[in-house]
Amino acid sequence: MARAARKGFRVSNWKPRVQYQAELDPSFPAAVAALPGAGKLLACIQCGTCTGACPMSPYMDYSPRRIIGMTRAGFRREVLGSFTIWLCSSCYACTVTCPKTIPITDVMYALKRQAIRERVYPRRFAIPALARELFRTVWKRGRNSEGRLLLRLYLGTSPLMLLRRAGLGLRLWRRGRLGLGAESVRRRDEVQRILPVAAPRRAGGTAA
Amino acid sequence: MIEPNRVPGAGERDGGPRIGVYVCHCGLNIAGKVDVPAVVEFAARLPFVAVAREYKFMCADPGQKLIVDDLREGRINRVVVASCSPLMHELTFRRATALGGVNPFLFQMANIREHVSWVTAEVPDATEKAKALIAGAVRRVALHLPLEQKRVAVHPDTLVVGGGIAGIHAALILADSGHKVYLVEREPTLGGHMAQFDKTFPTLDCAACILTPKMTQVRTHPNIELLSYSEVEKVDGYVGNFTVTVRRKARFVREDLCTGCGECVAVCPITLASEFDEGLGVRKAIYRPFPQAVPGTYTISRRGVPPCQAACSIHQNAQGYVALVAQGKFREALRVILRDNPLPSICGRICTHPCTGACTRALVDEPVNIPAIKRLVAEMAGDFRLPAPERERPQRVAIVGAGPAGLMCAYELRQKGYRTVVFDALPVAGGMMAVGIPAFRMPRDVLRTDVGRLKQIGVELRLNTPIGRDLTLEQLRRDHDAVFVAVGAHVERRLNIPGENLPGVHGGIEFLRRVNLEGPFSLGARVLVIGGGNSALDAARTALRCGATDVRVVYRRTRAEMPADPREVEAAEAEGVQLQFLAAPRAVLGNGRVSALECVRMKLGPPDRSGRPAPEPIAGSEFRLPCDTVVATIGQIPDLEPLGGDGLVRTRWDTLAVDPLTLETGVPGVFAGGDCVTGPDVVVNALSAGRKAAVSIHRYLCGEDLRHGRELEGSYRTEYAIDTQGVPVRRQLRMPSLPPERRRSTFDEVHTGYTPEMGMEEARRCLDCGICCECHQCADVCQAGAIDYSMKDERRELRVGAIVLATGFRAFDARRIARYGYGIYPEVYTALQVERMVNASGPTGGEVRMRDGGKPEAVGIIHCVGSRDENTNRYCSRVCCMYSLKLAHLIRERSGAQVYSFYIDMRTPGKGYEEFYDKLLAEGVHFIRGRVAEVSDWALDPAEQGKLVIRAEDTLLGVVRRVPVDMVVLAVGLEAQADADEVRRRFNVSCGKEGWFQERHPKLAPVSTFTDGVFLAGACQGPKDIPDSVAQAGAAAAEALALVDRGFVELEPNSAFVVEERCSGCKTCVPLCPFSALGFDAVKGKVWLNEALCKGCGTCVAACPSGALQQHLFTDEQIYEEIEGVLSHA
Amino acid sequence: MRYLYYPGCSLKCSGKGYEESLIPSFQALDVQLDELPDWNCCGATAYMSVDQDAALSLALRNLALAQRHGEAGDHPVDLIAPCAGCYLALHKAQHFVAEHAEAAAPALERLARAGLGTGATVRVRHPLDVLVEDVGLARVHARVTQPLGGMRVACYYGCQLVRPYAVFDDPDRPSTMDRLMAALGADPVEWPLRTRCCGGTLTGTIPQVGVRLSELLLQEAARRGAAAVATACPLCQFNLDCNPRHAADGGGHRPLPVLYFTQLLGLAFGIPRRRLGLERLLVPLRSAAAVAAGGPHD
Repeated sequence: MARAARKGFRVSNWKPRVQYQAELDPSFPAAVAALPGAGKLLACIQCGTCTGACPMSPYMDYSPRRIIGMTRAGFRREVLGSFTIWLCSSCYACTVTCPKTIPITDVMYALKRQAIRERVYPRRFAIPALARELFRTVWKRGRNSEGRLLLRLYLGTSPLMLLRRAGLGLRLWRRGRLGLGAESVRRRDEVQRILPVAAPRRAGGTAA
Repeated sequence: MIEPNRVPGAGERDGGPRIGVYVCHCGLNIAGKVDVPAVVEFAARLPFVAVAREYKFMCADPGQKLIVDDLREGRINRVVVASCSPLMHELTFRRATALGGVNPFLFQMANIREHVSWVTAEVPDATEKAKALIAGAVRRVALHLPLEQKRVAVHPDTLVVGGGIAGIHAALILADSGHKVYLVEREPTLGGHMAQFDKTFPTLDCAACILTPKMTQVRTHPNIELLSYSEVEKVDGYVGNFTVTVRRKARFVREDLCTGCGECVAVCPITLASEFDEGLGVRKAIYRPFPQAVPGTYTISRRGVPPCQAACSIHQNAQGYVALVAQGKFREALRVILRDNPLPSICGRICTHPCTGACTRALVDEPVNIPAIKRLVAEMAGDFRLPAPERERPQRVAIVGAGPAGLMCAYELRQKGYRTVVFDALPVAGGMMAVGIPAFRMPRDVLRTDVGRLKQIGVELRLNTPIGRDLTLEQLRRDHDAVFVAVGAHVERRLNIPGENLPGVHGGIEFLRRVNLEGPFSLGARVLVIGGGNSALDAARTALRCGATDVRVVYRRTRAEMPADPREVEAAEAEGVQLQFLAAPRAVLGNGRVSALECVRMKLGPPDRSGRPAPEPIAGSEFRLPCDTVVATIGQIPDLEPLGGDGLVRTRWDTLAVDPLTLETGVPGVFAGGDCVTGPDVVVNALSAGRKAAVSIHRYLCGEDLRHGRELEGSYRTEYAIDTQGVPVRRQLRMPSLPPERRRSTFDEVHTGYTPEMGMEEARRCLDCGICCECHQCADVCQAGAIDYSMKDERRELRVGAIVLATGFRAFDARRIARYGYGIYPEVYTALQVERMVNASGPTGGEVRMRDGGKPEAVGIIHCVGSRDENTNRYCSRVCCMYSLKLAHLIRERSGAQVYSFYIDMRTPGKGYEEFYDKLLAEGVHFIRGRVAEVSDWALDPAEQGKLVIRAEDTLLGVVRRVPVDMVVLAVGLEAQADADEVRRRFNVSCGKEGWFQERHPKLAPVSTFTDGVFLAGACQGPKDIPDSVAQAGAAAAEALALVDRGFVELEPNSAFVVEERCSGCKTCVPLCPFSALGFDAVKGKVWLNEALCKGCGTCVAACPSGALQQHLFTDEQIYEEIEGVLSHA
Repeated sequence: MRYLYYPGCSLKCSGKGYEESLIPSFQALDVQLDELPDWNCCGATAYMSVDQDAALSLALRNLALAQRHGEAGDHPVDLIAPCAGCYLALHKAQHFVAEHAEAAAPALERLARAGLGTGATVRVRHPLDVLVEDVGLARVHARVTQPLGGMRVACYYGCQLVRPYAVFDDPDRPSTMDRLMAALGADPVEWPLRTRCCGGTLTGTIPQVGVRLSELLLQEAARRGAAAVATACPLCQFNLDCNPRHAADGGGHRPLPVLYFTQLLGLAFGIPRRRLGLERLLVPLRSAAAVAAGGPHD
């Protein structure tokens, strides 16, 4: 609404505002509800507590409540393509306040994983990249090296950030809070054996 | 073969059973899962089965007609119906059987719906199970016998539990029908929650205006007996004949006398938060929840003896006089004190006040300074008189010793009218108080006045009169009817070290006595005092005042173990007394006169008998303390020599042996107490002994039992659970005292005492542990004489035929949802609090006001607090939307504030409800569809500064909104009463998992329960608004009437019976019968059963080892046959 | 008392100060912490959300190691995880196994093949929990030698310590840290943001959004007159200490030292500052006296 107002009113901006049932995926809600953690999804009464409690909702394209509503209605493309699921900071404020005790954070997780599985998320998008980097280090050493992780992350996503953060990095390093070397477990083989996949792929995803 | 009492039935008339089996489809309920034709075909081939039919609805008339016709036309003489649960239709089909001219108990039901079709997945399984059950039923019914139903008369009276609007309405209907009604209400008044409301939705008519007339009707109705402030404790019996035990809680105001004038409230000194005003207003300890309360009788809240009073060995009512002082009522306070203590000025100064040790206030900061307040009261009173005895008695009592024990005993006996004579060897009265305690702690004039008052009321004092040579105990016994020996302990213990006889070595008591009697004398500059008790410090401080410059107290343990009162230690140090710990005297040195004290250093070892660590000398650590005088205060023993040996027994501690309960000595008529029995002890215990002796002597002289009921004399502890959460810290007010430099040079009293203002301020720190403080103010002003502190809870037994439960609900505790800030932000209220606020007779007189008195500009109402939330209650509380609308309207009307109402779904089902919603929309209330996430005082915007911010998503507009408001109202949901589960057990009804009482059937029996004769009305069955509650109350009353007006109930003929030939006469069963229906016939050697008394519980049947006891409808044979039948098919 | 101790990656790197203060201050209370041998990454939050199976496996290995370690004595092991992220990851793993047996099966299988158990019996604890429940504030209070002199502390619990599983405190309005600070002689600040998100990993991945959250927290703490913020999670500490722009560099609030609650514990116990990793703070802690005075209310 607000945006339209800013743009000013032009007939050429008119877009049909009807959602055709045919464009929706009726199997989507059941599919999502089947994912571990998303089971109670269908209990939602759209009260909006999650949105109200969510510290990130102001920055989201769809509020958590709408994500759940849209999931239930079969808006597959919109839901999996949304920023919302990536903006969730896992603070669980929604989960503990939901009157229907829907673990909304876990639902967001489920949707993220679905989006990755279907490879629909913005290219060079930091969050999945971060996860991948983490995984690679952990695969190699069993433990994480925060310094190395951030370094790779920024290289992989926005080198510019790296520059902007260099100063901070230095100050941390001086205080011994930023080692680039990583500790590692003794039995790496055991760690690798319990992990699901063979050696992981390189970071970064493909365009949605 | 069994030979029970039977009526001739079809079975026998025309040989052998011919059974009809009728299988019901119940629409598709059964037929959907059970292959009915197959079942019928199966049934038709079972032995004795003459007819097998199926029908869509057996319960419908045509269905029943099938049965009736088959019976009438003689095709069959027994009936099996396979359909739903017997709970639904057993009665229906028994009637049909009877209609067919056959005894209704020649019928058996097989449940193939609840037990089969509804709980079985596959058709084949269901069908087989149905067959098995029917086979069982057929085998069973073949053995059924014709039985007669017992009729029991129904008691015409009725009981209604709960005096809210539902209970009131039910009671009135029952009463109007001419039945006696007992109405039991737990609170002091009728009215329930409705009495708290201002207006009722949707009509907005005044709650009081429609409720109070009904309350008055209840009070005046000839058929209603109102038992307010009472609780049902026990329910025995069964439908039509209940015996109910009711506990009438003591309200300490007699209902028959109280005129409700309210004079008592004006004088009551105790104020506490009013439950009726939901904590927004206050009430007194004696109170009436609201003006129109019914009954109008006042009630006193008492929690019991407060800890301070219990701890005091003479049980001074500290809370009482403290409360009165807080109000500046010093004279009244004095009267309370004098009830238990004739020596207030003395005790106010030198009592060791165990009361403060037990003070609950210590859990918050520091105990209330009770002694200081007592002292102030005595000082304020100035020249007062002690109450004079009402009657005179001839007997004379001699009291030996004018110390605290003697004086107290004399006072108590004088009060009773005895002639009391007190003898003392000293020239002054007061004993140790006079000679052992220095003037700067216990001014002489004060002592004299207190003692003087005893003389005023006729206590005779004979000073300078030692008992012994001139006047023997024997003589006293002869001249008096009783003697109390309280000679105290004045003989100094000795140090037993070399040199202690050197001049310059004094005993502490001897030293103090000399100074007290003859005035100060010089001790030289350096004085050593040995000991760690109060008298050591007294001696040291006295020494200072005698001009000594270097005074040192030598103690063998450390500060922590000092028996002296820490405050006295503090005062002594302030005056310059030095403390030498862990040092014990070895020898007094000096030639001709003491010049030094040799000490040895000590270390603390393991605890000794007294529980304190035992000091042990460190070898070779001797050292010397030069000095001019040594004062040894290491305790005293009584001087018993003069009393003569005859009869008086001594302990190995050189004290008198007495019976601890009565203080009797071995010599009849002679009693003893105080220090001469206990050894050196504190004043208050001596006083206690004095009173104890007085009680014994009185009983002795009246020839009563001396021992009976005296356990609670002396100090004890009360366990008090008082919530001190959130009590603001306010430390004790220190008592002003002379500057130390001045003290050293004078015997003037050190502590100068509270001013009246200080005393009142300090008194206000009291937490009113006992609530009512028994100051008797109310009793004094009550002209009707209705106040009765001795009132006790009473039990009453009621016999009633039917019971209506209308115990109502409780509001959800909003603290359980922390993020809404109730109990954290003062401007967050519950709906009930706002109901009180907008109520004209409420704490704000109907004004909508914030705590600071200001008018709110914006108010937020949050719906569904504790409803529709799986974290609290998952159900919808049903009334909140409507009362929120009502409150929104009233708040706007009273304050003109903007109202924001946050809801999930607006639920307005009911006559005129939606219209009310429309009205509020039109009034401009802001409705926001969204459940509130949080209430906080976190301001992100200047407009939010100093406000409460409500954060919620406006789900209809799809934006998160932050709404700053001045006041938040939480629409709390309804919950089952906290004790719903106990109550349901008591009345033997069931609860749903949410705690609401369970109705027998949600649609067809909404006000009956599974216990015949017990009915439900109002919110105890589930959340309900007023109209629904009243409607349901009417229904419950009607059903109860249907029962009692019929006058009788038919009982299942399931009574037990004895098969004599099997009875071995072992009598196992007789004591087991809860209804004592069993007896033993000694002649026959068999047990007999009184069928009228038997309730068919089956206990005896199960217990009988020989199977001689059987039960109709459940004979072993019938049960075995049924099992066989089921198994034969399975 | 002895506990098994799971440091997690952060306490070995950006959160060194946490470990450095935790161990000595617990020793001061006779609480011994034995580091879990050969522990590995807990399967961090960012990760759980992306590859459940892998994250779960990692968490479970740690629990399994702990269980094995405990099987010496058959009583259930208490595993202390100071990092709120690890604390939750480990808890979540246990819940996941219990609630989604099917989805957890592969991970459990691989662990079994590696000769590892499920770690179901291990009790995952947080130091705060242990202090309040096991040690007891009375004992803590008794051990205080340098009371914090009414220092105004804003207790910041963060999210994952009490959410979603409110194991030892209220998920909306926790109080354990406040009560602890009071016992240390500090004056806890009454504020509503004690569990509001600090931005988590978003401060790194989407700083323009993540860092904003941290700044809001500090602004409010400062506005309420806090002299310092106490945290119980290395990520919270990092975000609040390192990212926000202070008044100096054009931010909305004066710089506030952000400490681990264990560092304040150590200070109150009179443990030398250098042994508490205080020099690692970006916003330095002023002298105890100055801190006690509290900051100006703006």
